[in-house]
Amino acid sequence: MNTHPYLRAFLAGILVPTLVMPLMLIGFIVLRFWLQVSVPIERGMVFPMALVPGLWGIWNILWIGSHARTHLPIGLHGALLPLLLMPGGAAITSCFGILALGSHDAIWFQTLHIPYALILPMFMVALAAYYLVWKYVVGFLNHTLGIA
Amino acid sequence: MNAHDEERMKHFLKQALPPMGDADPGRDLWPAMRQRLAARPTAVPWFDWALAGGLAVFALAFPASIPVFLYYL
Repeated sequence: MNTHPYLRAFLAGILVPTLVMPLMLIGFIVLRFWLQVSVPIERGMVFPMALVPGLWGIWNILWIGSHARTHLPIGLHGALLPLLLMPGGAAITSCFGILALGSHDAIWFQTLHIPYALILPMFMVALAAYYLVWKYVVGFLNHTLGIA
Repeated sequence: MNAHDEERMKHFLKQALPPMGDADPGRDLWPAMRQRLAARPTAVPWFDWALAGGLAVFALAFPASIPVFLYYL
Protein backbone atom coordinates (compact mmCIF):
# COMPACT_ATOMS: atom_id res chain seq x y z
CA MET A 1 0.00 0.00 0.00
CA ASN A 2 1.33 3.44 -0.90
CA THR A 3 1.18 5.54 2.26
CA HIS A 4 2.51 8.70 0.59
CA PRO A 5 5.35 9.35 3.07
CA TYR A 6 6.72 12.29 1.07
CA LEU A 7 3.34 14.02 1.01
CA ARG A 8 3.09 13.62 4.78
CA ALA A 9 6.67 14.82 5.16
CA PHE A 10 5.85 17.94 3.16
CA LEU A 11 2.77 18.65 5.25
CA ALA A 12 4.69 18.13 8.49
CA GLY A 13 7.44 20.43 7.23
CA ILE A 14 5.24 23.34 6.23
CA LEU A 15 3.17 23.34 9.44
CA VAL A 16 5.46 25.50 11.59
CA PRO A 17 6.07 28.35 9.12
CA THR A 18 2.41 28.22 8.07
CA LEU A 19 1.39 28.82 11.69
CA VAL A 20 3.89 31.68 12.03
CA MET A 21 2.67 33.46 8.88
CA PRO A 22 -0.62 34.80 10.34
CA LEU A 23 1.35 36.25 13.25
CA MET A 24 3.61 38.03 10.77
CA LEU A 25 0.59 39.32 8.88
CA ILE A 26 -0.90 40.64 12.11
CA GLY A 27 2.40 42.38 12.84
CA PHE A 28 2.42 43.84 9.34
CA ILE A 29 -1.14 45.13 9.64
CA VAL A 30 -0.46 46.65 13.05
CA LEU A 31 2.72 48.35 11.87
CA ARG A 32 1.38 49.57 8.55
CA PHE A 33 -2.21 50.56 9.20
CA TRP A 34 -2.39 51.16 12.94
CA LEU A 35 1.00 52.58 13.83
CA GLN A 36 1.36 54.16 10.35
CA VAL A 37 4.94 52.93 10.00
CA SER A 38 6.01 53.85 6.48
CA VAL A 39 8.45 51.05 5.79
CA PRO A 40 8.12 48.99 2.59
CA ILE A 41 7.31 45.69 4.31
CA GLU A 42 4.95 44.45 1.60
CA ARG A 43 7.72 44.50 -1.01
CA GLY A 44 9.60 41.83 0.89
CA MET A 45 6.70 39.73 2.13
CA VAL A 46 6.98 37.33 -0.80
CA PHE A 47 10.07 35.70 0.69
CA PRO A 48 8.69 34.60 4.05
CA MET A 49 5.16 34.00 2.77
CA ALA A 50 5.78 32.14 -0.46
CA LEU A 51 9.19 30.55 -0.25
CA VAL A 52 9.91 29.64 3.35
CA PRO A 53 7.02 27.20 4.01
CA GLY A 54 7.70 25.35 0.77
CA LEU A 55 11.39 25.14 1.58
CA TRP A 56 10.60 23.67 5.01
CA GLY A 57 8.40 21.04 3.38
CA ILE A 58 11.00 20.14 0.78
CA TRP A 59 13.71 20.06 3.48
CA ASN A 60 11.65 17.56 5.47
CA ILE A 61 11.12 15.44 2.35
CA LEU A 62 14.89 15.46 1.86
CA TRP A 63 15.38 14.26 5.43
CA ILE A 64 12.85 11.44 5.03
CA GLY A 65 14.41 10.44 1.72
CA SER A 66 18.01 10.53 2.89
CA HIS A 67 17.74 9.41 6.53
CA ALA A 68 18.17 5.71 5.75
CA ARG A 69 21.54 6.47 4.15
CA THR A 70 22.87 9.40 6.19
CA HIS A 71 21.38 8.67 9.67
CA LEU A 72 21.61 12.43 10.26
CA PRO A 73 19.50 13.50 13.28
CA ILE A 74 16.56 15.68 12.28
CA GLY A 75 17.79 18.54 14.49
CA LEU A 76 21.10 18.76 12.66
CA HIS A 77 19.36 18.42 9.31
CA GLY A 78 17.08 21.33 10.20
CA ALA A 79 20.03 23.39 11.45
CA LEU A 80 21.49 23.23 7.93
CA LEU A 81 18.48 25.00 6.44
CA PRO A 82 19.52 28.55 7.49
CA LEU A 83 22.68 28.02 5.44
CA LEU A 84 20.34 28.10 2.45
CA LEU A 85 17.66 30.46 3.73
CA MET A 86 19.64 33.35 5.10
CA PRO A 87 21.95 34.00 2.13
CA GLY A 88 19.04 33.45 -0.26
CA GLY A 89 16.82 35.74 1.76
CA ALA A 90 19.54 38.37 1.97
CA ALA A 91 19.98 38.29 -1.82
CA ILE A 92 16.23 38.62 -2.43
CA THR A 93 15.74 41.38 0.13
CA SER A 94 18.66 43.40 -1.19
CA CYS A 95 17.12 43.14 -4.69
CA PHE A 96 13.78 44.44 -3.35
CA GLY A 97 15.42 47.25 -1.40
CA ILE A 98 14.51 45.76 1.99
CA LEU A 99 18.15 45.25 2.96
CA ALA A 100 20.79 47.94 2.45
CA LEU A 101 24.45 47.51 3.26
CA GLY A 102 25.99 50.50 5.02
CA SER A 103 29.59 51.14 5.96
CA HIS A 104 29.24 49.82 9.51
CA ASP A 105 25.91 48.05 9.60
CA ALA A 106 23.22 46.34 7.59
CA ILE A 107 19.89 48.17 7.44
CA TRP A 108 16.58 46.32 7.18
CA PHE A 109 13.35 48.11 6.25
CA GLN A 110 15.28 51.43 6.32
CA THR A 111 14.84 51.26 10.10
CA LEU A 112 16.63 48.36 11.76
CA HIS A 113 20.39 48.91 11.96
CA ILE A 114 22.30 45.72 12.74
CA PRO A 115 26.08 46.08 13.11
CA TYR A 116 28.14 43.71 11.00
CA ALA A 117 29.74 42.33 14.17
CA LEU A 118 26.31 41.03 15.16
CA ILE A 119 25.58 39.20 11.89
CA LEU A 120 27.64 36.10 12.72
CA PRO A 121 26.17 35.70 16.24
CA MET A 122 22.72 36.14 14.71
CA PHE A 123 23.51 33.42 12.22
CA MET A 124 24.61 31.09 15.02
CA VAL A 125 21.43 31.89 16.92
CA ALA A 126 19.41 31.04 13.80
CA LEU A 127 21.19 27.69 13.57
CA ALA A 128 20.40 26.97 17.22
CA ALA A 129 16.75 27.98 16.83
CA TYR A 130 16.35 25.79 13.77
CA TYR A 131 18.04 22.89 15.55
CA LEU A 132 15.56 23.09 18.43
CA VAL A 133 12.46 23.62 16.29
CA TRP A 134 13.31 20.79 13.93
CA LYS A 135 14.31 18.40 16.68
CA TYR A 136 11.26 18.93 18.87
CA VAL A 137 8.46 20.25 16.66
CA VAL A 138 9.06 18.82 13.19
CA GLY A 139 10.39 15.60 14.75
CA PHE A 140 7.21 15.30 16.81
CA LEU A 141 5.06 15.92 13.73
CA ASN A 142 6.96 13.31 11.73
CA HIS A 143 6.53 10.82 14.57
CA THR A 144 2.83 11.62 14.86
CA LEU A 145 2.30 11.17 11.15
CA GLY A 146 4.13 7.86 11.26
CA ILE A 147 7.01 8.73 8.98
CA ALA A 148 9.83 8.80 11.54
CA MET B 1 -30.82 -17.15 -8.72
CA ASN B 2 -30.79 -20.93 -8.68
CA ALA B 3 -28.39 -23.22 -6.87
CA HIS B 4 -26.16 -23.55 -9.91
CA ASP B 5 -25.78 -19.77 -10.19
CA GLU B 6 -24.99 -19.54 -6.50
CA GLU B 7 -22.24 -22.08 -6.88
CA ARG B 8 -20.82 -20.19 -9.83
CA MET B 9 -20.98 -16.92 -7.88
CA LYS B 10 -19.11 -18.53 -4.95
CA HIS B 11 -16.52 -19.82 -7.36
CA PHE B 12 -16.01 -16.39 -8.97
CA LEU B 13 -15.82 -14.66 -5.59
CA LYS B 14 -13.19 -17.11 -4.36
CA GLN B 15 -11.23 -16.50 -7.52
CA ALA B 16 -11.45 -12.71 -7.18
CA LEU B 17 -10.54 -12.57 -3.47
CA PRO B 18 -7.36 -14.50 -2.70
CA PRO B 19 -7.13 -16.26 0.68
CA MET B 20 -5.85 -14.09 3.56
CA GLY B 21 -3.30 -16.66 4.70
CA ASP B 22 -1.95 -16.38 8.24
CA ALA B 23 -3.28 -12.97 9.35
CA ASP B 24 -2.21 -13.28 13.00
CA PRO B 25 1.12 -11.73 14.08
CA GLY B 26 3.92 -14.11 14.90
CA ARG B 27 4.14 -12.97 18.54
CA ASP B 28 2.05 -11.37 21.23
CA LEU B 29 2.12 -7.60 20.66
CA TRP B 30 0.40 -6.58 23.89
CA PRO B 31 3.49 -6.69 26.20
CA ALA B 32 5.40 -4.41 23.81
CA MET B 33 2.41 -2.06 23.73
CA ARG B 34 2.23 -1.96 27.54
CA GLN B 35 5.97 -1.32 27.74
CA ARG B 36 5.63 1.58 25.32
CA LEU B 37 2.70 3.06 27.21
CA ALA B 38 4.58 2.80 30.51
CA ALA B 39 7.79 4.32 29.13
CA ARG B 40 8.59 7.77 30.47
CA PRO B 41 8.88 10.55 27.89
CA THR B 42 12.42 11.27 26.81
CA ALA B 43 14.08 13.93 28.95
CA VAL B 44 15.34 17.05 27.21
CA PRO B 45 19.17 17.02 27.33
CA TRP B 46 20.99 19.84 29.13
CA PHE B 47 22.56 20.98 25.85
CA ASP B 48 19.14 21.78 24.39
CA TRP B 49 18.15 23.68 27.53
CA ALA B 50 21.38 25.67 27.23
CA LEU B 51 20.62 26.48 23.60
CA ALA B 52 17.09 27.59 24.44
CA GLY B 53 18.44 29.75 27.26
CA GLY B 54 21.03 31.26 24.94
CA LEU B 55 18.31 32.12 22.43
CA ALA B 56 16.27 33.87 25.11
CA VAL B 57 19.29 35.80 26.37
CA PHE B 58 20.20 36.89 22.84
CA ALA B 59 16.65 38.05 22.13
CA LEU B 60 16.62 40.09 25.35
CA ALA B 61 20.07 41.55 24.71
CA PHE B 62 19.43 42.45 21.06
CA PRO B 63 15.69 42.97 20.58
CA ALA B 64 16.28 44.70 17.24
CA SER B 65 17.30 41.32 15.83
CA ILE B 66 13.88 39.76 16.50
CA PRO B 67 12.08 41.24 13.43
CA VAL B 68 14.99 40.19 11.23
CA PHE B 69 14.78 36.64 12.57
CA LEU B 70 11.02 36.55 12.08
CA TYR B 71 11.45 37.79 8.56
CA TYR B 72 14.05 35.26 7.46
CA LEU B 73 13.00 32.26 9.50
